[in-house]
Amino acid sequence: MNTALDIADLSFTYRRYGAQAPPDPVLRAVDLSLQEGSKALILGLPDSGKSTLSKILCALVPRHFDGDLAGTVRIGGTDISDCTPWELMTRVTLVAQNPQEQLLMTTCADEVAFPLESLGIERTALVDRVRNALQRWGLYSMAQVNPQEMSGGERKRLLLAVTEAVDAPLWIMDEPFDDLDEQWRHLLLSRILEKKGTVVVFASRYLDEFRGNFDSYCHLLGGTVGCKSEEEIVVEYDRECDLQFTPMQEELYELADHTLRCRNLSIVHPRRSVSSDQPFSLSVPEFHIASGEVVALVGPNGAGKSTLSRVLCGLDPLVEGSITIDGSVIAGKGLQTRVGYLFQNPDYGIFLPTVRDELGWSLHQIRHLGAQEREQMVSSCARLFHLDLDDNPAMMGYGARKQLQAAVYYLLDRPFVIIDELDSGVTYAAAFEIVSLLRKNGAAIVIITHDRTFARNIAQRQYTIAGGVVSPSEVGV
Amino acid sequence: MTTSTFVAGRGFLYIFDARAKLFTVLLLCVMVFLPIRQIGLWTLVAAAFLSAWYATDFKQALQPIKTILFLLVVMILFTPLTYRGGEVLVRLGEFPLVTKEALVNLNILVARFLGITYICTLYMWTTPMADINLALRWYGLSYHAALVLTLAFRFVPYIADSFRMIQDSHALRSATVADGERTGGRQRLADVMPTVTAALVVALKSIPHLAMSLEHRGLGRDTKRTSYRRLVAKGGLFTHLLVSVMIPTVFWLVFNTL
Amino acid sequence: MKSTDSSKMTALRIALMAVLTATVVVFTLLVRVPTPIKGYISLCDVVITFSAFLFGPWVAAIAGGLGTGIADLIGGYAQWAPLSFVIHGAQGLLIAVIARSGIKTGVPGDANILKLVLAGVVGMVVMAGGYYIAGGVLYGFEAALVEIPLNLLQSGVGVVLGIAVSRAVLKAYPPVRSLSL
Repeated sequence: MNTALDIADLSFTYRRYGAQAPPDPVLRAVDLSLQEGSKALILGLPDSGKSTLSKILCALVPRHFDGDLAGTVRIGGTDISDCTPWELMTRVTLVAQNPQEQLLMTTCADEVAFPLESLGIERTALVDRVRNALQRWGLYSMAQVNPQEMSGGERKRLLLAVTEAVDAPLWIMDEPFDDLDEQWRHLLLSRILEKKGTVVVFASRYLDEFRGNFDSYCHLLGGTVGCKSEEEIVVEYDRECDLQFTPMQEELYELADHTLRCRNLSIVHPRRSVSSDQPFSLSVPEFHIASGEVVALVGPNGAGKSTLSRVLCGLDPLVEGSITIDGSVIAGKGLQTRVGYLFQNPDYGIFLPTVRDELGWSLHQIRHLGAQEREQMVSSCARLFHLDLDDNPAMMGYGARKQLQAAVYYLLDRPFVIIDELDSGVTYAAAFEIVSLLRKNGAAIVIITHDRTFARNIAQRQYTIAGGVVSPSEVGV
Repeated sequence: MTTSTFVAGRGFLYIFDARAKLFTVLLLCVMVFLPIRQIGLWTLVAAAFLSAWYATDFKQALQPIKTILFLLVVMILFTPLTYRGGEVLVRLGEFPLVTKEALVNLNILVARFLGITYICTLYMWTTPMADINLALRWYGLSYHAALVLTLAFRFVPYIADSFRMIQDSHALRSATVADGERTGGRQRLADVMPTVTAALVVALKSIPHLAMSLEHRGLGRDTKRTSYRRLVAKGGLFTHLLVSVMIPTVFWLVFNTL
Repeated sequence: MKSTDSSKMTALRIALMAVLTATVVVFTLLVRVPTPIKGYISLCDVVITFSAFLFGPWVAAIAGGLGTGIADLIGGYAQWAPLSFVIHGAQGLLIAVIARSGIKTGVPGDANILKLVLAGVVGMVVMAGGYYIAGGVLYGFEAALVEIPLNLLQSGVGVVLGIAVSRAVLKAYPPVRSLSL
């Protein structure tokens, strides 16, 4: 049998912009060999290098992202360092973790058709392949819909439809099960198992679907890949994840005690959805949080977590009901000054050249401090959040950018902070640390997540959104 | 943000081939500047308006007027009614206020502007963007240029959403207790640099990913590209082109002043 | 690695033009600032100047022309689309040619203030003048005069902010230099 994929001594370091310290390699001496037809699972924490590795395998890095690459990669026997990405498209297909990175066209059908057009497939066959791929993934009715108007799960399915249509012998899939409902997870698993070619799946959570279905189980740790038996890898990965869980400190706060209370809120949001013409409405009979508390807001994608958050921090208006802080009804601007909101995407706030500038800018906003004092606060804040003051924010890794976002809010010292999906994309340890740092000054934290385990470990109370209603529930349910 | 320019409706205009239709639009837009009787211009406007009404509905058919209403008012107010010596219609003592020539001129300007507006708008309503793209390619636009057009449409919603979030994020970050209600001018200007810079950085960051995806999906391959979409003219393109030439020709023959 | 510079440029160049075009569209339709002389100016010229300054004449012409054209189509001003295409396309082209004169590829260093002012003035003349002529033909030269002050303000603000934003982006996102092919 041929070796479908052969990675030998691969290492890669991204180019760093601005910081004094030399950059750390993302991948060190990765060795991996997969036989044709085998299915491999590679587990790795967020930011462990999974996406980088998957892009290197398609000859996209370092072509488009500067860095130092050493070692060799062979696909089907050919050394890919001499190949261009479009030459490799017949041999390997990548399914990116974030569909937005890969989507090109304005309709689903065009998206599936594009690579087939590149392959020069004759029109009637092309039309058939597009139709079959869309039907397989339940998107045929949405063939003319713009992917920008579809949900995350639907976009993921679109990428999978494209992958199937192209039908390359090697599939590299970065967190493909993410965002998919159970029905589609089952389908994905069966497609992977039925495929005659080789499949590599990267994942950061060990899902039930993985049990007993793969030929190779591997762990991407410290920049290298190690393959062992399924049980060993699961134990090893669990141990790495467990190290992430530090119990939340129950600290007593002498500081000011603030309470935010919602009574009978009614929120209506014109929903940008293809499946319903109804405006989306959310009802919150009761919601409260007090200084020092960590409350989880849990619900499936699209349930309304962001909608509620935007109302709580004063960005969007209420239809009915009231939000009171410390007894007085507050709305709009008043909420904006008291409730912070960390967007899931940390890049919305980045516009300055160095970390020092970004942190300093926050301080500018609130009080008039002496230059000395400001410098002090910026330095100690950077230390707390493991940030290099001279680093360029736009080019830092995702985890570091989340830290920066949190650091900015730390300096703003808002009594209430809402954090949106903190645990996706950063390790549990980093998430815990961010939350505990923000709580230092007594802030009340609302954590939005769809990971029940994370909620159970981090929050004291929980609200669940289901069917347009927010109701209290047991933590971790 | 919706990027759709197409308005669903009924009638011949929706069946009319995109390439031929474009030719008609061009010819008519040129024609309105040629010596045409005023009644001809207004007939064109009426025909276009009625077509819009038939294709969609009355409210929709009024839309183009709404978009240019401000300009129409400006035209009526500012186009001088006294120059172009000629028969004076209204007099204020010794001063000519309104001359016939000037009114005729204004009349022509208004009809022409309305005509062009309706014709161009109708084209956009009745032709999906994908078809317009294919029509342009048929007329000679390169594949890469057409691809830039498609990709631009794909990215508009993404960048628009990002910009809104950036504005929100910035508002929250810079909200201070000292502020009163944020007033228009000054505060807004202070926000411009940070939000615009952040927006451009977010946009620029998506460029390498887009390039990667294009290459990964085969842009750059030697094999000749095939096409999933194609324009099909019901009854043959020749017929449509014939019709597309006939419409302005008939119009010219009936209404020209030569 | 095989030298594939020219082919790398194809996908990257297309991506660059497409994203900048989309950005111009968004800025034309969404990014508006109120002015003291009653009315709003859009900040599309900021992005056009930005493209001109950092990426050169062709990218700026496409981003400016196609971007404003598409914005007109989406916004319901279809009759303006081909006119905006020519006017803002020329604006982008000329600003780039003047501000970057003497530089073949890459980013201009601290550009000559004279060149910038000249580029700015030419940009303003082309934009306001272009719309004046187009408006004149379309609905009368007298009425077209009305738009001139706002257009001058918009293009003027666009150039000034465009240069400022270019500097800010160069510092905030250094890899932009490698996009300046």
